[in-house]
Amino acid sequence: MERKQPDLVLIVARSFATKLATPAIIIDARGDLIYFNDAAAELLGRPYLDIGELPASRWQELFQPRTLDEEPLLPEQTPGGVALRERRPVHDSFAFLGLDGLEREITVTAFPLFSHPDEIVGVMSIFWELPAPS
Amino acid sequence: MIIRVWGARGSLSAPGPETVGYGGNTSCVEVELADGTTIILDAGTGIRELGQRLVERDPDVLHVCLTHLHLDHVEGLGFFAPLWTPGWKLRFWGPPSATTALRDRVARYLSPPLFPMGLAEAPAESVFEDVPREPWRVGPAIIEAETVEHRGPTVGFRIEEEGRVFVYLPDHEPYLTAALDDEPEWISGWALAEGADLLLHDSQYTEEEYAQRIGWGHSSVDQAAAFARAAGVRQLGMFHHDPMRSDRELEELYDRVAEIVQEDQEPPIIAREGMEIMLGAGPRH
Repeated sequence: MERKQPDLVLIVARSFATKLATPAIIIDARGDLIYFNDAAAELLGRPYLDIGELPASRWQELFQPRTLDEEPLLPEQTPGGVALRERRPVHDSFAFLGLDGLEREITVTAFPLFSHPDEIVGVMSIFWELPAPS
Repeated sequence: MIIRVWGARGSLSAPGPETVGYGGNTSCVEVELADGTTIILDAGTGIRELGQRLVERDPDVLHVCLTHLHLDHVEGLGFFAPLWTPGWKLRFWGPPSATTALRDRVARYLSPPLFPMGLAEAPAESVFEDVPREPWRVGPAIIEAETVEHRGPTVGFRIEEEGRVFVYLPDHEPYLTAALDDEPEWISGWALAEGADLLLHDSQYTEEEYAQRIGWGHSSVDQAAAFARAAGVRQLGMFHHDPMRSDRELEELYDRVAEIVQEDQEPPIIAREGMEIMLGAGPRH
């Protein structure tokens, strides 16, 4: 049965993210972006309300994620994608193009959101911008 | 279906002259379906008197749906006559837990030193199950349970029979995780309550009280009214009355809620012990 609204775990995670001063982004069980907070908007280059929910393919197209060695990353290869696919926390770094046109390198901790021991409803990723090389 | 309120008080039973009008028993609501099937929502102290009425009949199957296991929602079980009478079959449904079976969680209360008897000593045949993730059928009704915002694992229930919908959300703080003007899909419990003919909803606090108790798991009456409006509920029933609230104070809160509801909604009600509400056709047995 298709759900008419997100699982409570996603509702609570989104509420948590809205209150965090740390950049945070949430994807659902399909890998689609469903929310990022104001702190994340500073790095992504545009507020969530301007962008809204995005399918995985679309956010990959917009943000062009890639490794620190400039290799392109598919959505499922980003820390959030790996956390979703392998159902485990992931910590890694990668680069992307912000919607303000600036390239950024970030380090990410992504953790799966389980509503039941066998049911993953999404992934929450918190991240920081890596300091520019001196 | 017929909905009977046996207890509408929240948190702690509150008997006395100040509460005699709406009653002091904690949460318990009986739903009688068209074929006579009995569903019981929560097992607060109100279930004691319901049990006395039930054992006047021949033993049967009862469906007991527990929203959560806070004491005010299970403390009546020790005095629920069908549980202690051979021949009755009790099917319990409750909130899921990743670690502990529902029977074991209920048995924490129904065991010494909190209670003199153990659940295993109860002669009724009892089955305990976490609520299914999909809607399920009980007699002629479809029941749906959904986890909702409250302290600890908690579900609400939606019961639909012959196109009429009754929703029960006695302990719920939807606006802890949503703003009043948020999109409805981001409001806890919204889909469960959407389009209900009757919603019995947590209305524990005044606005002033809520400001001091944010995160305690309950709603103000204004929030209850806002939630009912967001979900397109036809009629809101104020439920889970604060134990400190007198009958007179409840009626003052009612006046406030009545001002908030919209023209396309029925006037709200204050859930009261002994209240009986019929949705659609009544039992045909």
